[in-house]
Amino acid sequence: EELRLSHQWAEGDVRHQVAQMVADDVANAGVDLTIQIFPNQTLFKAREQYTPLSRGQLDMTVLPLSYAGGQQPAYNLTLMPGLVRNHDHAARLSHSPFMDKLTEIMAGDDVMVLVHGYLAGGFGSNKGCITKPEDVSGISIRAAGKSFEQMLAGAGASISSMASSEIYPALQTGVLDATNTSSESFVSYRLYEQLKCYTPAGDTALWFMYQPLLMNKSTFDGLNAEQQAALMSAAEKAEAFYLEQAKLGDDVARQAFANAGVEIAEMSPEDFEAWRKLASETAYPAFVAETPDGQMLLDLALAVE
Amino acid sequence: MRQGTIKPPSWVRAISLVSNMFGVIAATMIMASVLITCQMIFVRGVLGQSTIWQTEAVIYLMIAATLIGLPYVQHQRGHVGVDLIPGLLPPSMRRLLAFAVLFLTLLMVGVMTFYGWEMFHLAWSRNWKSETVWAVPLWIPYLSVPLGFGVFALQLASDLWLAAKSDGAQLETTVHGISPDGENL
Amino acid sequence: MEPLTIGLMVAFATVVVLFTGISVGTGLLVVATGFLLIFDGARSLQALPEIFFGELNSFALLSIPMFIIMGAAIASTRAGPDLYEALERWLTRVPGGLVVSNLGACALFAAMSGSSPATCAAIGKMGIPEMRRRGYPEEVAAGSIAAGGTLGILIPPSVTMIVYGIATETSIGRLFLAGVLPGLLLTGLFMVWAIYDTWRRGAASAVLSGARYSWRERVEILPRVVPFIAIIIGVLYAMYGGIATPSETAAVGALLCIAVAIVVYRMYRAADLWVVLRDSTRESVMILFIIGAAGVFSFMLSSLFVTQSVAQWIAALEVNRWVLMAVINLFLLVAGFFLPPVAVILMSAPILLPIITSAGFDPYWFAVIVTINMEIGLITPPVGLNLYVINGIAPDISLRKILVGSLPFVLCMALAIVILCIFPGLATWLPEAVMGEAI
Ligand code: NA
Ligand code: NA
Repeated sequence: EELRLSHQWAEGDVRHQVAQMVADDVANAGVDLTIQIFPNQTLFKAREQYTPLSRGQLDMTVLPLSYAGGQQPAYNLTLMPGLVRNHDHAARLSHSPFMDKLTEIMAGDDVMVLVHGYLAGGFGSNKGCITKPEDVSGISIRAAGKSFEQMLAGAGASISSMASSEIYPALQTGVLDATNTSSESFVSYRLYEQLKCYTPAGDTALWFMYQPLLMNKSTFDGLNAEQQAALMSAAEKAEAFYLEQAKLGDDVARQAFANAGVEIAEMSPEDFEAWRKLASETAYPAFVAETPDGQMLLDLALAVE
Repeated sequence: MRQGTIKPPSWVRAISLVSNMFGVIAATMIMASVLITCQMIFVRGVLGQSTIWQTEAVIYLMIAATLIGLPYVQHQRGHVGVDLIPGLLPPSMRRLLAFAVLFLTLLMVGVMTFYGWEMFHLAWSRNWKSETVWAVPLWIPYLSVPLGFGVFALQLASDLWLAAKSDGAQLETTVHGISPDGENL
Repeated sequence: MEPLTIGLMVAFATVVVLFTGISVGTGLLVVATGFLLIFDGARSLQALPEIFFGELNSFALLSIPMFIIMGAAIASTRAGPDLYEALERWLTRVPGGLVVSNLGACALFAAMSGSSPATCAAIGKMGIPEMRRRGYPEEVAAGSIAAGGTLGILIPPSVTMIVYGIATETSIGRLFLAGVLPGLLLTGLFMVWAIYDTWRRGAASAVLSGARYSWRERVEILPRVVPFIAIIIGVLYAMYGGIATPSETAAVGALLCIAVAIVVYRMYRAADLWVVLRDSTRESVMILFIIGAAGVFSFMLSSLFVTQSVAQWIAALEVNRWVLMAVINLFLLVAGFFLPPVAVILMSAPILLPIITSAGFDPYWFAVIVTINMEIGLITPPVGLNLYVINGIAPDISLRKILVGSLPFVLCMALAIVILCIFPGLATWLPEAVMGEAI
């Protein structure tokens, strides 16, 4: 039996490696199950994967869950400022009552998680360094994620929405002053060539995005016991690898910017609290307002130590 | 000018009217997207304010203009095609092929209309929104899919009727009428 | 069934279906749906409209209607004839001056229009009758405009470059810059040929172009080309001066062109503006429909693993990289004979690009090679959109004569490809100088 896995990343990307690991382990288990990977949006476009996954037209995907936030507003909590401090905290969040609630919601769409994983990101700017809310006041910024946009707008930044591929020329010509995205995108778009100051994800970071390996639940349930066991054990191994690589990715980005002679700034725990306070006045209420059981979900997430 | 000697029945004329109307709507949408994009550049560059909704709005306007414009372009014979095989056939076969092509097109457009309706209905009944701060209800842009393909199908049906009633030469222009200016790439 | 076998079947079916005269967009949808039904069952049908919609869901595509509006707005004014007149007054003493000035006008117009047939129509409407009136052979008049018009997709802005950029995820701003010098090179080659051809026909410049202009007349005309230069500078400033991103620039250009048409050329009647908008809409819808349908088509190819298998197959060919390039060129050339540029690029660029880059070729250089191949396709039968345009402007010139007249220019394009292979820097130098090394 053959399963189709689609994702949007290049073959060198950690998210492809996670998918490849699962595919390889399942193939080696000899349970008559192969996973065919379609990287680089060769099958479905980046943001068009959740619906086919939920309908069983696609078997698996590695997806930032917040992409489907328009269908399930609860997913917006997986790209929410101030919920995650660092990668170990993220790993605890992945196995918490909060995640159990999300799992229930996913099950309603016939979707389940095989591999949990968060990736972190930072800020880059040409107008000083961004560590605390005051630093973004009056600058033109492109943020990744709607909750981040709401928070940054609350700090007095002007938000520009544009495709991620246009960030580089926009920074170059001065259309944008700053941007906020994942460590991986900072490196792959070579933004260190256009930025003066970089605030990487360190011991405390603001930007975390949940990007699990998802599977269609009915497809999984339709597999025999050996196949399911092979998938689960491959997934467990891949999850440990994903966490390790996510931490490495932040270091790679930090190093790339340092090598390019870009100033590196650090976000202190006090800065983090200032952002979180701002988020609790901007992004959190907006989330609660549009989400059924929003307050309960938010409290569950905030309760994770 | 296409109707030749036969006076088309009212339903054919009604469809032609709707197609033309859709052309006006599509053109308005394209013009609106030019103005909104310029407004966005102004707001961001001169006023230094946030531009939250413009990018998304112009993308949806462009997609909707494409879909809503389909029947109009069919009506104007603006879809480009390669009529190599018809040129090699005797007239009777050519007429048959022209019918087959129109029918196949109608079938395909019908399939797109059906599943397009489903796509719209799903977004509507489940209240899906775009995952941006603007959070547009997705049924609004999705509605252009069944609407555009639907009227495109009606226009094709009307063309098929005209083709059946007309002589061979007219059928030719119905199927592969490439008008010389306008079809640009 | 083997993916490569399916691939051959798809290729055959596509050719047959498209040649029936079905519109290209629908034809692609029909083939894609048919193969999905046979080899993947009915489950994919449900996703078709979403794939179509998703393919168009891109801000960069927006520049296609905008660049078309730019060209259409200017083409509907006196700007084309003005430009043409100015060039003619300055170039009459050159052998074949009228042909040279037509080519120059085409090149300048191309700097504002993203589409080739639009360029062809804008300059040809004035240029062809004028050349014939002055006794230039019909094939020279028609051929030079058909070929000059193709510059529309090489000299930026360019609709096909935008499509290439989206299909291969390369920078559109960089692609535009890559086309500048090759565009000038090609214009130069065309002009050199035109001068040689006229000289060869017996130093005919004096006979063929009777007019003589005084210096006063030459200087007088210059202000009339100012709007042109202003638009080009305005667009370049928007793009490189921190005003707009490359995709947004098109909107600035479209608005500028409409403004110039209204203010400078007094085109303020609603009916005139409507004609511009109507024609642009018709053209944009036609192109965007093909793009959406090609998205469904490539979903089918990818889904049935054809794309990946073909890429692996070509990559496994152990041939010299220049042999590889020659084969790819031949493929593009043949595809260009039969299909419109946008369709060829959408379907082949994603497959070819990984092969090209792994063979050590530059993706921006390759974009220029693809574009020149597509330009050839525009003036060769059976699907040569520029040929239709010429046919519309001068219905009494036979297709054979247009073809004979275009043939030398096709050879110029082939020569340009060879020159670019020897000096790839012609394409890669400008983007690197302006925007730094490629990402
Ligand atoms: Na151009
Ligand atoms: Na051709």
